[in-house]
Amino acid sequence: MYMTAISDTAHPRLAKGVRLQSDSATRKTVLLFPEGVVELNETAHEILMRCDGRTVSEIVQALAEDYDADLAALATDVRETLADLQQRRLIELR
Amino acid sequence: MSAPRPYALLAEITYRCPLHCPYCSNPVNALTTAHATAKNGELTPDEWKRVIREAAALGVLQIGFSGGEPLARHDLADLVRAAREVNLYTNLITSGIGLDDHRVHLLRDAGLDSVQLSFQSDASDLSDEIAGARAHQRKLNAAAKIRAAGIPLSLNFVIHRRNIDRLPQMIELTETVEAQRVELANAQFYGWAFLNRAALLPTREQVVRAREVATAAKARLAGKIDIFYVLPDYYETRPKPCLNGWGQRYLTVNPIGDVLPCPTASSAIPDLTFENVRTRALDWIWRESESFNRFRGTEWMPEPCRSCPQREIDFGGCRCQAALLTGNAANTDPVCEFSPNRAMVDAVLHDINSSSDHARDWTYRVNPKVLHC
Repeated sequence: MYMTAISDTAHPRLAKGVRLQSDSATRKTVLLFPEGVVELNETAHEILMRCDGRTVSEIVQALAEDYDADLAALATDVRETLADLQQRRLIELR
Repeated sequence: MSAPRPYALLAEITYRCPLHCPYCSNPVNALTTAHATAKNGELTPDEWKRVIREAAALGVLQIGFSGGEPLARHDLADLVRAAREVNLYTNLITSGIGLDDHRVHLLRDAGLDSVQLSFQSDASDLSDEIAGARAHQRKLNAAAKIRAAGIPLSLNFVIHRRNIDRLPQMIELTETVEAQRVELANAQFYGWAFLNRAALLPTREQVVRAREVATAAKARLAGKIDIFYVLPDYYETRPKPCLNGWGQRYLTVNPIGDVLPCPTASSAIPDLTFENVRTRALDWIWRESESFNRFRGTEWMPEPCRSCPQREIDFGGCRCQAALLTGNAANTDPVCEFSPNRAMVDAVLHDINSSSDHARDWTYRVNPKVLHC
């Protein structure tokens, strides 16, 4: 299985050809790519909304502040979600 | 029966095509049916734009512009723009013939999200023989233009007995043109491919080797290129979950506006009548029409599907394949090992695998000529 560790200093962004969009039928956020649609859960949605040039640790920090959540638990969630999205080639890490 | 929401529309905007591939999935009778008269000709740009808006309102998120060769229509970029205006993800499924710099830029500026470019093989001689036209070099040029314009590129190879042994070279070509993904899809036997099956179906030995090549390449290129290898289903023992179920996720609109649950249904299932976007709203056709409801859900299933634990997984396989092989679209797909008609598939496999004297000749696809809107 292809899997890389997610570094704190990496800059995640949507992979080329992937579009994030609101689905008017369900009001959920989806990722669109050639021949596919993925419906995002709330965690993935909140993370991707913050993939705007920030690093992984900056994203974790921002989420912790916005949701008043535990930093360590959040960091694990963010890394797992990003690793999953990267493995499906929906995001790139720079 | 309540209808789910569709996800993707396949817009077959023309059956015209500069190539003559013997495995084309277009109906063999596209030339002789109503398509050739002006009155019943291709949908106009305004009609397509209405279809696109109606599809988005139904919940469709993706549109594939296909054909025929969609570049044969000069309003393609306008249709892409119309699809982007209603937030559809736009994919162009093309041979690349006709894609010059000007048109690549028009399409990019219209917001085209991605291109799937077909190749017949990895090298000119065999590719051009399969296409029945000098096309390979023009495809390579098209790939370079698409990459230069920054549009994400996928390749598609239709695999059959004449090119399956060149899978490694096809994967190499995918790397060379820097495509992000590649479909290595064994020909499925509908349309022209059904007519030419004896010349196209690979041998068991070829299929086994190709699967090994694809699996190894998948591992080697993981994270770099997505490889989708589609098996020839005659060699499977369980049917493919065709369309993820009839009338569940996909709809196709053909060049003259007939709305099909599957692009091959119009020729494979002659006793189904299809509605047309010129006389009915897309929403009504999707939800209410006989053609979309006939095989929706599981109520229509005969045995052995009706009591099969797989019925919500493979949906009894492919209706078109059942119709083409058994004459009844409601039968279990004969690829299934539980189908009472599996012997029909085995007989075809036996013919291919028991003799080294295989049919080599195929009939090239011919093209409709009088198609203008």
